[in-house]
Amino acid sequence: MSSVIWYLYEFARKSWAEKFAAAKTDPEIMETPSRFRDFPEVRKEYCIACGACTAACPAPMAIKLIRSSDSAEEEGATYPVINHRGCIRCGFCAEVCPTDPKTILCGENHLIREEFTILPVDKMFIIDDYLCIRCKKCLKTCSQVAGAISEVDNKFVIDQSKCIGCGDCIKNCPVKGAIKGIYINHVEEQKDIINLVVDTLESRIEEDQEKIKKLEPEEVYKIDLPMDDLVKKAREIIRNDEIIQDTIEKITDRLKMRILTWDDEKCNNCRLCVDDCPSGAITYDEEKGVQRNPDKCLRCSICYQTCPFGVAGFYVARFLFSGTLKDGVIHITLKPSQLPIRS
Amino acid sequence: MLDALKDVIRKSSIHVCLINTGGCNGCDIEVVALLSPRYDLEQYGIYVHNNPREADVILVTGAVTEQWREKLQRIYSKAPEPKIVVAIGNCPLSGDVFNQEGSSVYAPVSDFIPVDAEIPGCPPRPSEILAAILGVGPDAIAAKGRQKP
Amino acid sequence: MILPLGPIHPGLKEPIRLKLKTRGEKVLSAEIDYGYVHRGIERVMEGKTWQKGIYLSERVCGICSYIHTQTFAETFEKIAGERAPIRAQFLRVLTNELDRIQSHLIANSTFFKAMEHETLFVYMLHLREPVMDAIELLTGNRVNMGWNVVGGVKMDVNQSHLDSIMKIMMDLESEYDKYVEMFEHGPLLGLRSRDVGKMTRDDAIKARAVGPVGRASGLKHDLREKHHTYHDNFDFKVIWRKEGDNYARTMNRFDEITQSIRLIKQVIENIPPGEVRKKINIPAGYGDWRNEAPRGEVTYMIETNGNLINNVSIRTPSIMNIDACAKYMLKDVATVPDALATYASVDPCIACTERSVIIDDESQELLERQNKKEE
Repeated sequence: MSSVIWYLYEFARKSWAEKFAAAKTDPEIMETPSRFRDFPEVRKEYCIACGACTAACPAPMAIKLIRSSDSAEEEGATYPVINHRGCIRCGFCAEVCPTDPKTILCGENHLIREEFTILPVDKMFIIDDYLCIRCKKCLKTCSQVAGAISEVDNKFVIDQSKCIGCGDCIKNCPVKGAIKGIYINHVEEQKDIINLVVDTLESRIEEDQEKIKKLEPEEVYKIDLPMDDLVKKAREIIRNDEIIQDTIEKITDRLKMRILTWDDEKCNNCRLCVDDCPSGAITYDEEKGVQRNPDKCLRCSICYQTCPFGVAGFYVARFLFSGTLKDGVIHITLKPSQLPIRS
Repeated sequence: MLDALKDVIRKSSIHVCLINTGGCNGCDIEVVALLSPRYDLEQYGIYVHNNPREADVILVTGAVTEQWREKLQRIYSKAPEPKIVVAIGNCPLSGDVFNQEGSSVYAPVSDFIPVDAEIPGCPPRPSEILAAILGVGPDAIAAKGRQKP
Repeated sequence: MILPLGPIHPGLKEPIRLKLKTRGEKVLSAEIDYGYVHRGIERVMEGKTWQKGIYLSERVCGICSYIHTQTFAETFEKIAGERAPIRAQFLRVLTNELDRIQSHLIANSTFFKAMEHETLFVYMLHLREPVMDAIELLTGNRVNMGWNVVGGVKMDVNQSHLDSIMKIMMDLESEYDKYVEMFEHGPLLGLRSRDVGKMTRDDAIKARAVGPVGRASGLKHDLREKHHTYHDNFDFKVIWRKEGDNYARTMNRFDEITQSIRLIKQVIENIPPGEVRKKINIPAGYGDWRNEAPRGEVTYMIETNGNLINNVSIRTPSIMNIDACAKYMLKDVATVPDALATYASVDPCIACTERSVIIDDESQELLERQNKKEE
């Protein structure tokens, strides 16, 4: 009973009625506190288009680098754009941004310091000391961007914790292959692609074996291999065209394939090669004569040097990849080996 | 006359159904926080309960998982007309961090049901949700009610 | 008769299906269907750096998102054989306890909602808002904080921030007792929660119940006791009860909130100056770490090659607690609303649990391949 009286008393008061009529959400709640991390703010003019923010972002759809169209006076500027539907407001892009002052600002990140910006880049850059001509072009380029390349003991090295993976050093390097960008992810897939390319090239050369056998010592034999089938198979392994092109380019640059042909008609069963073969790929059978097993063969060329009748032919093939994945070709150049024949 | 009366009623009493189609639970909690005295969603005539059969507004939080692909459409068809769908957070909009190689989400949610309003953020603050719902909710429902079926 | 509840149901906040076997009004037993929010988060984490992985681990669960990042970071620190700077450890404890307070408050409010006591439901949410403000002030975001990193925390705090957190805690403490008393001595609430959903200590051991659910049934087990920061610096005692009913579970959470407030005060009074982050070089290796989440024990097992995460496995507490609820608590419950209240009292968090791989017992086949290699 007492509570009913209390309620009646409460409701009868004028202040209560006023409050009841004017009930509204407190406008204060719409204000965000000082340390609140809102969507990142982009300041286009400082961007160096290194792509660190896109590589670092944990959400797959949040940041994209875009480029405005070129005008008559200057090139179009490249800058990141934040997609609010994907951004999780973690502030990691602001943390990794290497420019000074920062291109991306996000909340109050006290600890944006150099030693903590470990970049989760997908490529690792290394300098091949054997090919490096020490022109210092990469050093100059990098000192403007990240300062990751330095000279130690007369060798140029890249500090991986400072590298932002922009790839400017490769563009400026005058020697092809002296600086390499290696994809650190998808190693197994890259191995599969390499195997696929080597197998395809080898089988293509095998097809033309009859022609190769007739080559004169100084003659050069050329084949052009179109890319369509190869790319189709490679895409089944991994769907990243960038990685496929990169791997194919690198492997064709370095690959040197030795080709061994075998001419049974010339063989006189002298069996000199059977004893010399280091892997036991050549065997003698009374019925079939001397036999070579291509799967076991090491292509060491000892049989070619030993054979007095010229049964084994030894050729060296080199490759060059030109064009893009769509319309590119692999040029195969094959010529007889200049190795001396022992007998 | 009748339409104007319907509009007033539709605007002032909104029932909300919350569906989590596979998110991290954070957006659901922020919607629950809207019920607290500070934000007080119910003073605007919005009532949150999880009953799709009497819902005017369907809030979807979460990327769509394997189990939800058909059920979401079924739940959507059970809600009476007029209805609007509001996607809260990044999961229904883009799949957020889950929409990567190897996951089992089928974002965005607009592939499955039509979405009328979007609130980005991971998760959005309650004030952002409140502003968005009040900005779009009542008028959109009234406008949808006026359309001829 | 089988009474299915969910996945979308007015009584449930998150998608899960409860199948209650009923006779009349009485609930005989219950069965639970999982799998509505399985996102394959562990598979996504594979092949990513820890910088990306820590944001993924944060999104395992939205309510206790903080403890996931802390466990993730501490696993990597264990692999490296180092520890975060002492100031960072104190700040981690501070955030962890704030997170625990808000999680327990929302767990209790859900329980009161399930008991149809709207007043306390709204009061609990009213208490929670200042705590969320404190978290936002400290870390920059309300739910998914992005605050932990391997080797420390992201941002330093200054004294004015700590003072305002201290003030929020003081206000909370002075208001808090009033609401606890409403529950503790309220006759109607007591009638509906005492001796409902009882689980004995033996059952709790059998069901591997952890966290407040296990502690309310007499399992004196809290991993904070063994954690090095708590062990070395703070005065901490495990809170536990013997009754094992809904009342004990809710009261256990209330008592833990009091204790968390006490811990936060200790942190603010004793926090040492210094660095909050140091650089840690991670070698290749395997490590595991356990921590006490608001709901119980969370385990991370991580294998790394020094740069990328090779393999990760996460065990969260809710899966055991929901199982314990279905097996031992929802047995011979008097009414269906009581069964729902019991289910709410174990504080189920569905987003946490959905990580399992289901194997068909007879054919030994993976029904749902979690490590789906093809897209």
